[in-house]
Amino acid sequence: MCDFSGRLIAWMDGELAENEAATVEQHVPVCAECQERLAAYQKASVGFAAHYAAVTETAIATKVQRRLPRWVPVVAGAAAVAAVLLLAFMPRSAKPAPAVPQVASASPPVAVEPVTKPLQQVQPVQRRHVAARRKPSTTSWAMAEPAIQIAIPADAMFPPGAVPEGVNFVANLTLAADGSVQGVRLQP
Amino acid sequence: MSGDPFPLNLPLTRLATASSEATELFQEMRKPLLRYLVGLGLSTEEAQDIVQDAFLSLHQHLAGNGSQENIRGWLFRVAHNRARNHQQSYAQRFSEPLDSALEPISRQATPEQVALESEKSRRLDRAIRGLTGTERECLMLRAEGLRYREIGEVLGFPTSTVADTVERAIKKLAEKCNV
Repeated sequence: MCDFSGRLIAWMDGELAENEAATVEQHVPVCAECQERLAAYQKASVGFAAHYAAVTETAIATKVQRRLPRWVPVVAGAAAVAAVLLLAFMPRSAKPAPAVPQVASASPPVAVEPVTKPLQQVQPVQRRHVAARRKPSTTSWAMAEPAIQIAIPADAMFPPGAVPEGVNFVANLTLAADGSVQGVRLQP
Repeated sequence: MSGDPFPLNLPLTRLATASSEATELFQEMRKPLLRYLVGLGLSTEEAQDIVQDAFLSLHQHLAGNGSQENIRGWLFRVAHNRARNHQQSYAQRFSEPLDSALEPISRQATPEQVALESEKSRRLDRAIRGLTGTERECLMLRAEGLRYREIGEVLGFPTSTVADTVERAIKKLAEKCNV
């Protein structure tokens, strides 16, 4: 057996020190035995990775479809209650919140200058919180049916620290005319 | 094999307070962690719970000024240790029939190719089930792109032990699959 055979797998994985790797690299092209072994190791390596991915991905895909995350009923329930309360206390004449003030219309119509400032300077930091949720939504899910978007801070629903900062979900409720919830859609 | 399939080029110094980096890290690492845990024999439900738990621990770790080096290895280590409590037979996951997993290949192949592929697959399946738990863990973490040093940190072994284990495992597979 060739002396280099014990270093082929570590070399294949890029785990040898630089000088040692260089020695193996020079040897392999001139050693049929090492080439054969290397091919077999690569094949086994790729075979394992493919098998591992196939088995685990299949299991995950199959079971994820069947099961909603455990927090979905909590969020959906709380959002539904909030929606009903909101509807109950909302005056009949209430209109959706007005759109964001049209800054462009306040500027002189003739002095149209190219926008030079970066977008970030005129828009608030995109951090998800309650106030941001109350802005009129521009997403397409609200087009067909009357709908309300509600934000419930994670702190109000989970123990402090239970939800990592920055992990947010939005529950989009589609409401029928009688106030019942027709659909709940969660978005990360 | 020197390429890293899951590079973490995130500005981790701000991870504890910057939500976008945390979300990006969650999205990037969720699937590899799930695969590894399911590969250990856990159910998908258990795996999902552990992944959530691991990220919660990461948040607390970083909020407490814990080390920000090698977050990927850190997550795998926490997930691995949590999984120990749920552990069932390692062989359980790998003993399930692979027919559904291999279906896409079968549909495009001739009957002869199907027979050949399924024979190869069965041989590989048997060979993988013949590995020890540690050998399988090393290969799964290696397949997820972890370096030997990182694998050692996850499993609590010296890097040299990981190198020996990986070599032994690959040689076993090669021997049984290439006969």
